[in-house]
Amino acid sequence: MPDAGQATVPAPSAPGITRAWRVRLATPEFVLLALLVGELVWFSLAGTNFLTLDNGLEMLRASTEVGLLALALTPVILTGGIDLSCGALLGLSAVVFGAIWRDAGQSIPVAAAAALGVGLLGGAINAWMVAGFGRPALIVTLGTASLFRGLAEGLTGGAVNYSGFPAAFLHLGQGRIIGVPTQAWVLVAAAVTIAILVHAATIGRALRAIGYAPDGARFAGIPVGRRLALVYLLSGGAAGVAGLVYAARLGQARADAGTGFELSAITAVVLGGTSIFGGRGTVWGTILGLVALGVLANGLRLADQPAELAGVLTGVLLVVAIGVGARRGRA
Amino acid sequence: MTRRTFAAAVGLGLLTLGASSACRGGSSGGAADGALTVAMMPKNKGNPYFVSCRQGAEEAAQQLGVKLLWDGPTETDPAKQNDVVEAWITRGVQAIAVSVENREAMSTVLRKARGKGIKVVTWDADADPDARDAFVNQATPAGIADVLLGHAARLAGPAGGEIGIITGSLTAANQNSWIAEMRKLLPAKYPNLTIVDIRPSDDDRKKAFDETQTLLRVHPKVKVVMAIASPAVPGAAEAVKQSGRKDVGVTGLGLPNASKPYLLDGVLDSAVLWNTKDLGYLTVQVATALAKGRTIAGTTPFPAGRLGQLEVKGDNVILGTPFTFTKANVAGFDF
Amino acid sequence: MRPLWVALAWAALLAVVAALAPAFFDPVNLRDLVVRASPLLIVACGMTIVILARQIDISVGSQFAICGVVAGLLARTGLPMPLVAVGTMLAGAGLGAINGVLVARLGLPAIVVTLATLVAWREGLRLATEGVWVQDLPIGFQWFGLGQDIGRWLVGLCAAAVWAATAFVLGWTPAGRAVYATGSDAEVARLLGVRPPVVITGAFVTMGALTGLAALLSAVQFIDVQANAGIGLELSVIAAVVVGGTAVSGGRGSLTGTLAGVALLATVGPALTFLGAPAAWERALQGAIILIAVSAEGFSRVRGLKATHA
Repeated sequence: MPDAGQATVPAPSAPGITRAWRVRLATPEFVLLALLVGELVWFSLAGTNFLTLDNGLEMLRASTEVGLLALALTPVILTGGIDLSCGALLGLSAVVFGAIWRDAGQSIPVAAAAALGVGLLGGAINAWMVAGFGRPALIVTLGTASLFRGLAEGLTGGAVNYSGFPAAFLHLGQGRIIGVPTQAWVLVAAAVTIAILVHAATIGRALRAIGYAPDGARFAGIPVGRRLALVYLLSGGAAGVAGLVYAARLGQARADAGTGFELSAITAVVLGGTSIFGGRGTVWGTILGLVALGVLANGLRLADQPAELAGVLTGVLLVVAIGVGARRGRA
Repeated sequence: MTRRTFAAAVGLGLLTLGASSACRGGSSGGAADGALTVAMMPKNKGNPYFVSCRQGAEEAAQQLGVKLLWDGPTETDPAKQNDVVEAWITRGVQAIAVSVENREAMSTVLRKARGKGIKVVTWDADADPDARDAFVNQATPAGIADVLLGHAARLAGPAGGEIGIITGSLTAANQNSWIAEMRKLLPAKYPNLTIVDIRPSDDDRKKAFDETQTLLRVHPKVKVVMAIASPAVPGAAEAVKQSGRKDVGVTGLGLPNASKPYLLDGVLDSAVLWNTKDLGYLTVQVATALAKGRTIAGTTPFPAGRLGQLEVKGDNVILGTPFTFTKANVAGFDF
Repeated sequence: MRPLWVALAWAALLAVVAALAPAFFDPVNLRDLVVRASPLLIVACGMTIVILARQIDISVGSQFAICGVVAGLLARTGLPMPLVAVGTMLAGAGLGAINGVLVARLGLPAIVVTLATLVAWREGLRLATEGVWVQDLPIGFQWFGLGQDIGRWLVGLCAAAVWAATAFVLGWTPAGRAVYATGSDAEVARLLGVRPPVVITGAFVTMGALTGLAALLSAVQFIDVQANAGIGLELSVIAAVVVGGTAVSGGRGSLTGTLAGVALLATVGPALTFLGAPAAWERALQGAIILIAVSAEGFSRVRGLKATHA
């Protein structure tokens, strides 16, 4: 359904300019920016050592895995779909990485390739069922979430914990390049790639069109099946990369890796203003959402507040940001 | 009510909350007002086992005049423990005490904390020896496995029999190490006992109940149900009670308060544990002593407040041996 | 069509179990399974209404946890059990009302709202209880003081009654038709005199009340109340409802399907245990079953579509 709000932006004239700016400022992204600035101010007062470079970099390090998932989720949600299986796929990739390296005795690059392969394969299963069969993404990815997590548990018996990775690999998760955590560069690369996909390439417009009106898109000649397959594959690949980063950061890979990450990723994407119904959203909104969530959790910890409060305030933040920022006609 | 009014109301509420937390937050920062800050983390804040450890920890903190920060993951999320320790390093505390869920992951960040001059104590579950200054040890996995199997053997009788185990989650490190030790002990010490199945409860009492119910039907010859996670003990005991199977014995690792009703009516034979309140108490004592410059090494006994002089083995402070709660003695405990 | 597929899948599973592990069909085991599935069925009835109205509620696990604790706290004050039941359902309805207002009055997407409440309520409950279970409950709490034999009948009958009542309302009353209408096309429904905001709020409130009932029936099987029950409940319930044929896009589905979905998903776990599948593989098998159920209907629909377009 087309967004009524967009069609009613008045043409610029003296009073019109003010109205245009007010419409622009009422977007979810700017509301979130305002909330984020509020968080930063508040925590710099309440938290100890909050506004330090070191803290900021460590926050970045801790949110890379969820960040990768959220970035890849953005095009998925743009098409009106969803992927609830990315956290489980992260876990499966991490476990496969550990198994290929330790049990099959392969080198780190080979094991990493296997992990990425598993991620893409998982994404392919989602793509096949959603794009190929046309089944609803919610229930498909609910099923694949159980399947992937279950495979990780089955392969390891739950008990196996792969660790003892070589220092060169651990550098990916624990080291720094030019003073910035290594995985942050991966995150930046991913952000740039997805931003180009969503905003610059023609594919991005196709994705939005699919989100607005799947049938209309098909009649307009957009290869809906192929585009949908691409975004789910991408989501799977991101989960594979995130699995490697996770294993490098924590120095271990276990079947429960990434539990709950998909909910955090979806929260970041939606917080950033991407409509859950599809058709509207920005990558920079997702990044803002990630930062807002990371700052909230980190700031509360530094202010000696219990972890549960972060959860409660995340829920409140979500409702406020979406409630205030949503355009008329379609939330 | 329009959206904006609603959002404004919520925003106002948030602001009030923020102001109050800012006031609370402002009074922290141990070094400023002279009190030490000890940051203590369980594996999982929601587990009743850790809830009881906290009581002892708060007691010691009050006695010693230190500020206790108690925080950690709300579910057993392997990654979150790291984030919390990183935050504490940034915030600046004098001592960190962690019950380690992920040895490898935590060891890295704990080494970093030590590098910044923070004293590190592990409790309940250890990290790498070079990542911490001391380990508060309540019992070794081998010791725990032995006591549990001893009870199971007694319940199964001289002819032995089948044991069904209800564990925490499939990935829980402590439970897995106990199971591994049990498997080692079986052929050597208890050859006529067999572990016939291991079902996960995911630390949920209801799930432990359901799994035990199913276990009793799938393995009708089971003689002993062993529940090795504290939420699982009341679940398993209730399932055996409701099934009316008086020929099945129940034992496990659980808290006295949750086990009391089942111990008293005979369904639960024994619950193995240690004094979790004392564990929390001792941990804060050790952390504070370290923060004040004391070293834990060699065999000099450690003076632990109301616990008296406790044995020290190298850099391990020993709480004691596993204790068995039974019908006879459970009334004397409250945690 | 879908309920039939699901029933067939269920029958196939039962046939395998009958061949390899007939002990499954022991009447005592079947009784326990019914008692176990009853709270799930009750919540699934509520979820069916919500999904039919083209909404979703992923916060039911948190509602379940809160209502259980409320039930325990009310019982501990000495209130008679019928009043405890009313209080618990009111608590659930209240939580549902919050969801309903945010979705229907403020127009926020249901999945976003219930994601927010899922997190906020669960963490809020943890903050409030600090992990401490509600203990020292009066003797009359477990099984409503009726003993386990009558208690079990009561739980099963409650579930059956809720299912029947919901089926009746959805299938034979204007309120039910309003739900289907709102889910199919809210604009058309509005033109026909249905008020979607009222219907949607009603759906969430009903969902909450039923979750409260389910939480109570689950809690009274024990002598104390966990601080943190129902983790992951929303996913099991949604899986059961959608596998049973209710479309996520709203307006299509029935309670017969929900019953079939609940039956299948509640049976899979125990059946696998009886068949000797290691616990570590159970989740993978459950996921595979959901995927098979979801794609099986896809085959028949695609063939159907091709037939009409040919």
